[in-house]
Amino acid sequence: MIITTQKPLDEILDFLSPYNSILIAGCDGCTQPPRGLREARTLAQLLELGGKLRSKNFNLRVTTLPKQCDSYLTLTTLQTQIDGIEAILSLACGLGVQTITQVLPDCPAFPSQNTLFMGSEIREDNTLEERCAACGDCMLAITGGICPIARCAKSLLNGPCGGSQHGKCEIDPEKDCAWDLIIKRLEKLGRLSALDEIRTPRNFGQVVRPGKIRG
Amino acid sequence: MKVLDSQPKFAVKLNDESCSKCAICYSACPFEAIKRDPETGKLLLEIEKCQVCAICYSSCPAKAIDIIYYDINSLTSYLENAKEEYKSDSLVIMCKGSAPDFEDVEKLFGISNFIPLSVPCVGRIPPELLLKAISPIGIKKIYILACDEDYCRYERGSSITGRRITALNIFLEQLGYAKELIKLKRHSLKVKADSNKCISCGNCVFYCPYDAATLEHGAATFALELCRGCGLCVTLCPAFALDLEHWEEDRISALISELPKEKGKTNILVLRCQWSVFPKLDEEFDSNVHVIEMPCAARVDPLHILEAFQNGIDGVLIAACPEEDCKSKTGSKEARRSTTALKKTLSQIGLEERLHFCSVAPRYPESFYEELRQFKVRIENTCLKEARH
Repeated sequence: MIITTQKPLDEILDFLSPYNSILIAGCDGCTQPPRGLREARTLAQLLELGGKLRSKNFNLRVTTLPKQCDSYLTLTTLQTQIDGIEAILSLACGLGVQTITQVLPDCPAFPSQNTLFMGSEIREDNTLEERCAACGDCMLAITGGICPIARCAKSLLNGPCGGSQHGKCEIDPEKDCAWDLIIKRLEKLGRLSALDEIRTPRNFGQVVRPGKIRG
Repeated sequence: MKVLDSQPKFAVKLNDESCSKCAICYSACPFEAIKRDPETGKLLLEIEKCQVCAICYSSCPAKAIDIIYYDINSLTSYLENAKEEYKSDSLVIMCKGSAPDFEDVEKLFGISNFIPLSVPCVGRIPPELLLKAISPIGIKKIYILACDEDYCRYERGSSITGRRITALNIFLEQLGYAKELIKLKRHSLKVKADSNKCISCGNCVFYCPYDAATLEHGAATFALELCRGCGLCVTLCPAFALDLEHWEEDRISALISELPKEKGKTNILVLRCQWSVFPKLDEEFDSNVHVIEMPCAARVDPLHILEAFQNGIDGVLIAACPEEDCKSKTGSKEARRSTTALKKTLSQIGLEERLHFCSVAPRYPESFYEELRQFKVRIENTCLKEARH
């Protein structure tokens, strides 16, 4: 899922200040926590309260849609709701804001979120952790299901480096050393020898940025 | 929780002088709060463990237990007065945990005019009160609404009540009274799920303290026999796909929007777990303090707090049980977490002082009222300060 965090209310209030009638659009898709109707209503209440303190009375409407990264769903859901709306505030990741910008070019769209990374939600620890870097050449089959590209601070292909300390990374003792995890995992699977194999260089050109493929 | 010297008053007291050492309280207490000295047979109350269910009080044959809340004298005088006030000779005693609106009570029992008596757990009602109600007070029919046995917040309150009523009805019939003069019904207030609104996020599945929720065919499904009605899933559902009977999202919103605001005064809303404070039957507050009871602090919805601020409420106080006393396992803990998160967001617009979370327990009868007093002073000061700016 895409991990986002809400922008400071002041920043949102600043960029919304030229507008009065605003549609707050939630996204039920993969943002975590789900930024659906409840988040949209909560944000509306907060902005109204914050607006009042700036002597600003917004006219806010709320809605949500299954996923804002789908142009057809976004267009069909939102186009019937933008009568009299001057701006749309999206609770989706950066994709949602851009999809709205594309499908509703006459209505400015703004982000309420800062999009952080693609991550897993480890419910038991109450953490959200980056696990995939979308590198385009997945090597999880070789590394025991643990990604060194996303989870090693240096994206090393032959770790661990000297900064690995008791299974933790030197940049942050809260973070696991990915290569420590990989080695231990492969040992457990009896596949540690797989790392001895000489491999051809990775194909860093698998995704030519900006990525675009035909569906 | 440490007890302050200034607050020595406990809600329950076991009197040595009148204790007959029968140890019924010891075996009835669901929380092992009563210890028995194996040598002397002396019974001791460990107040820290006591949840003030008063099952001991209603069981004690020697009247050796004093309780502050709903003791037989206050209940008797309530009934005497209420009989006149309601002009009825039907009495409905209901547990707060399962009592819906009075309208629904009417439907459940098929009666329209009755004397209502709402208490935290019917297990606290001594059989003696029921007999007194019949004679001399003159009640003709008693209805008791208990929670389902496994829904009882005090574990044994509902089942003990069931046994007592069976015995009392046999006894009353032998004396020549009508059959089944005391009628018992069990009821529970549970989650309602709308699968059409579910977005399959899995929050309810993870957070339900009773493992009642699963994701089946892409929508949350509840094993209702496991649901204990804490409302945590409802508060956390991002899609409003869940609701809680009697504590529906819209019903609480309506209550908040209808609160009468006192002009020129600071208006306070208290969202109070119904197990954290046992109010007096005639509890009254100043006209600028409004209280809405919740089934658990877990049902306190950040949206409702924000709605209250929108509606001109100056301060919101959340009263929860201490985590170790929570009747819904993780409810109190999660409520504290979500309040902390909301306070953090509110700090971005300078409103964090307006929200306060406190832990109070009925075993310390003054603790809630002291928290409320302090909160009122704080809010008044905050409002004054803001008015000056």
